[in-house]
Amino acid sequence: MIFHLLAQSAGYRPFLDPLPVWPNYIWPWLVVPLCAAVSIVYKSIRCRSMSRVPREALSITFWILLGLAAAAVVLAVLVRGIVERQ
Amino acid sequence: MSERSSASSVPAPLVGLASWLVPGLGYWLIGQRSRALAAGLSIIILFIAGLLIAGVRSLEVPGYGPHGRPVLVENNRSSDELDSGDWALTSHPLDEIRAKPWSIPQIMAGPIDLLFSVWSVRASQTGPTGAPIGVRSHSRTNEIGVLYTAVAGMLNLLVIIDSAYRAGQTEGQ
Repeated sequence: MIFHLLAQSAGYRPFLDPLPVWPNYIWPWLVVPLCAAVSIVYKSIRCRSMSRVPREALSITFWILLGLAAAAVVLAVLVRGIVERQ
Repeated sequence: MSERSSASSVPAPLVGLASWLVPGLGYWLIGQRSRALAAGLSIIILFIAGLLIAGVRSLEVPGYGPHGRPVLVENNRSSDELDSGDWALTSHPLDEIRAKPWSIPQIMAGPIDLLFSVWSVRASQTGPTGAPIGVRSHSRTNEIGVLYTAVAGMLNLLVIIDSAYRAGQTEGQ
């Protein structure tokens, strides 16, 4: 994955060129920083004490990712098992 | 890292405005500095990461077309290729914003969105080679970039509301 990114990113101009993240083994991983940022901001708002934020944000990030993975499995089963058989 | 609100007398609307200007600044003004850094940096990093992934041209700027020219309206026809007419953003602002709905959550990220929008318009214009300076992203890359920037804006809206509420609580005490 990293080798692909490095090879494809030669000549990459930050902000002017899109990053070559379209292969299916790269783009799904971009959900991780998105979930982490949502968790940190959400927990920064919700927690009374900021000392609890890192642990609670890590926990909620894990649960969001688990929920997304579960939804992906359910959808994959639906599409491959039911829709593609018809 | 415990947060103690200093007895701040900053008015809640000013705290909200500060949060829009710089994500997290509202918390900083009411003395909640670690909360300001955590929320503010997360939002700014998320917004910039979206633009690093999809490029600045993933920001669709109301009033401007894909070639970086103003969208003009003449005889109920709107295009950025017309030579004369009224500017769509002033003559039909709601239609123009409705055509680019992601600009609404993105603007919640504050002036950082306006700065990158100016860059987006400039990068859409043709350069010395005859091609646009910036490359337009498509499909998933574009979707991910737009999602990152829009989510950053929505998170900042939460921060604006929360910081203004906390400032109001401090004022009331």
